[in-house]
Amino acid sequence: MSEHLPVIVVLAPLFGAVIVGFFGTRDRHLCFPIALTALALSFVCSIGVVHHVATVGAWDYFVGGWESPHGVGIQLRADGVNSLLLLAIAVVALLALVYSIRQDGEKDAEKSPFFYVLFLLLCVGLFGITITGDAFNVYVLIEITALTSYGLVAIGSSRRSRVAAFQYLVIGTVGASFYLIGVGYLYLAVGSLNMADIRTILAANPEIANSRIIGTALVFILLGVWTKMGLFPLHGWLPNAYSYCPSGSANLMAPLVTKVSVYVMIRILFGVFGLGVITENPGWSDLVVLIAVGSIVAGSVMALTQREIKKMLCCLIVAEVGYMVGGTWLGDAGRWGLTGSMYHILADAMMTSCLFLAAGVFAKQFGATRLEHLSGLFRRSPWAAGAFTLGGLAMIGVPPMCGFFSKFYLIRGAIDSGHWLYIVALLGSSLVNAILFFRIFEIAYFGEVPESSESSEGGCPTRGRHAAWRTAPLLVAAALTLLLGIFNRPVIDLIRGTVVENIDIVSMQE
Amino acid sequence: MQKLFATIAVIITGAILLNAVEDFPRFGDPHSPPNSGVSGGSVSSSVHYLQNTYLDTRVPNVVTAVLADYRGYDTLFETAVILTAGIAVFAILRVVRRKDEEESTGSEEKACSGEFSTSDSDGEGRHRVVVGTACRVVVPLAQLFGFYIIAHGHPSPGGGFQGGVVLGTSFILLALAGGLGSALGRLREDMYLRLACLGVFIYAGIGLLSLFFRRNFLDYGALSGLLQTGGEEMARSHGIFGVELGVAMTVTSVMFALFANLSTRGELKGGL
Repeated sequence: MSEHLPVIVVLAPLFGAVIVGFFGTRDRHLCFPIALTALALSFVCSIGVVHHVATVGAWDYFVGGWESPHGVGIQLRADGVNSLLLLAIAVVALLALVYSIRQDGEKDAEKSPFFYVLFLLLCVGLFGITITGDAFNVYVLIEITALTSYGLVAIGSSRRSRVAAFQYLVIGTVGASFYLIGVGYLYLAVGSLNMADIRTILAANPEIANSRIIGTALVFILLGVWTKMGLFPLHGWLPNAYSYCPSGSANLMAPLVTKVSVYVMIRILFGVFGLGVITENPGWSDLVVLIAVGSIVAGSVMALTQREIKKMLCCLIVAEVGYMVGGTWLGDAGRWGLTGSMYHILADAMMTSCLFLAAGVFAKQFGATRLEHLSGLFRRSPWAAGAFTLGGLAMIGVPPMCGFFSKFYLIRGAIDSGHWLYIVALLGSSLVNAILFFRIFEIAYFGEVPESSESSEGGCPTRGRHAAWRTAPLLVAAALTLLLGIFNRPVIDLIRGTVVENIDIVSMQE
Repeated sequence: MQKLFATIAVIITGAILLNAVEDFPRFGDPHSPPNSGVSGGSVSSSVHYLQNTYLDTRVPNVVTAVLADYRGYDTLFETAVILTAGIAVFAILRVVRRKDEEESTGSEEKACSGEFSTSDSDGEGRHRVVVGTACRVVVPLAQLFGFYIIAHGHPSPGGGFQGGVVLGTSFILLALAGGLGSALGRLREDMYLRLACLGVFIYAGIGLLSLFFRRNFLDYGALSGLLQTGGEEMARSHGIFGVELGVAMTVTSVMFALFANLSTRGELKGGL
């Protein structure tokens, strides 16, 4: 079976979702073990894929065996970037799943099987988007990701989460249809949906590559994915959707959905249109970097004004998306900006996962949803507070953590290409992160423990046995944030070795 | 002010879209890129489909073969999208009342308990002679037609999605004519939820079978030994029919689930 690993990564959660839906309604205790088994299988398979990519090279898989001619069937492709992202998705999803284990006593326990079904289907969408090599298949999986996200946001019992979900639904649908229009235009011009095939067609036919159809296709695909990832002027839905949804859903969606959209943008750029788009149109790519700078500034400023922990973290996501989009469009000759963006996708997935898990633990165990509530937290819960500290330091970019290395490569790329404004924004936002997180550290470490700390449970007295289920994934996430930073070398080598160098060869041949 | 911004955004979007129209291939042009491919790329998939579909799959309807075999991986996820829609609407809208709460409210109707069972109290008992009789004639015909569309996807337009919609409509018709209770009596809530999951399971399961014959996922040709067909082509044809059945199950039950939950705001009783 080992030759089918790329497809099993996607299929395991799909079967898991269907089996949970079939048996979970009868016996709710089956849901969690089934979901855990499915995601563990995906995790093992994605390790296998990463191993194969690292030792042998890129891995193509043709669904249905329709290998030739190219583009008749659907191709899956695992290489240096997306195999690592597959692994990151599996890890973050497993952590979020362990965190979200449901108890019988909770008030909407009857619906918990459907929470697990939606959770697993969201994983299917994320895995599928990441591994596919077909432009239309991406759209189908974006649909799955989007529909499950709307459901997971709205499943929260509060009215606010329904409103946020509706906003998210309207904007997300516009984004997805923009992507679809873009793919339609692309198909009209080249007659193929296979990414690698489109790439060769565009490289061989410059008159098609420079036509207005292709330009429009690129614009609409980009607008679509930017809407999906919440880049600056299109970010309005993001903070509400991710902060008002139940923390079980937020732990999965906040770290992954935006990052996978960033990955789609990178894949479309170098896998379909070619990086020439960036280097040959310096005016346009400078404009995109400027938008990214706007995103960084807007995210940081919004984060400064927030007093709610989760909302503050959501605003930081907008800034982080700016890092990655800007890094991708730097267009420096060494492709260090692109490398930094790709590495930052992984780093940010881990950091955001760590911080959101921590915010979830604080909210569930201490009822602490606002900064003031965190007073004296370190003495009450040293492990959770320590893990949050690690995540915060990574977000600021303190050396041994992964956040430092992605900023290092991004700034290196920006210096090479002379985008000084981007560097200023990057450093400025690191400074803002430092202010934000040290403010929290001060409150949490040196603040007074409130008198009524034992009774201020926020109506959720689920300590003891279940607290361990919530804290364990948080600690793992914090450890991974640290490890990804310390062992950044092999990750960077894999990213550069398999993709960035290939791009340079391709663009030199042209 | 907001309307002004929206109008400007729409006009700009439209202008960008129309800007490229000049470069479009002529409508119905047989030599346009989607129809005949582009030099430098591989052979156009459209040409390949038209020339080889019958040889590969013994399915005269090219659309069905492309949908369920060549690009069956997409269709599997389209089916999963439909399942997602059904589950999401259920998870958001469905009002779940526990038995204890129900007793305290003193509702005279034996409504939904914690286990999602629903009452059958309204509907059959009422005197709706004309509608009821018409329904008794139309519903079996509609269902028969639905099965016909599913089964006839191979030689003519049709297949699981269309047939599933017709089948789902027949249950909605029952609900419209005799009350939701009578329709739920025939297709219970726990049944349609399971049926929706089973549909996707059948689709993905048929695809998974080929892995055991050391072939790629969704390669129905691998099933020729299992199905005792002469060649791989007939096995593909049967495989397509199998997945169409799975699609039809999911579509039927999600159609009905959406109607039942949306029309009664998740209460699954009375309504309309």
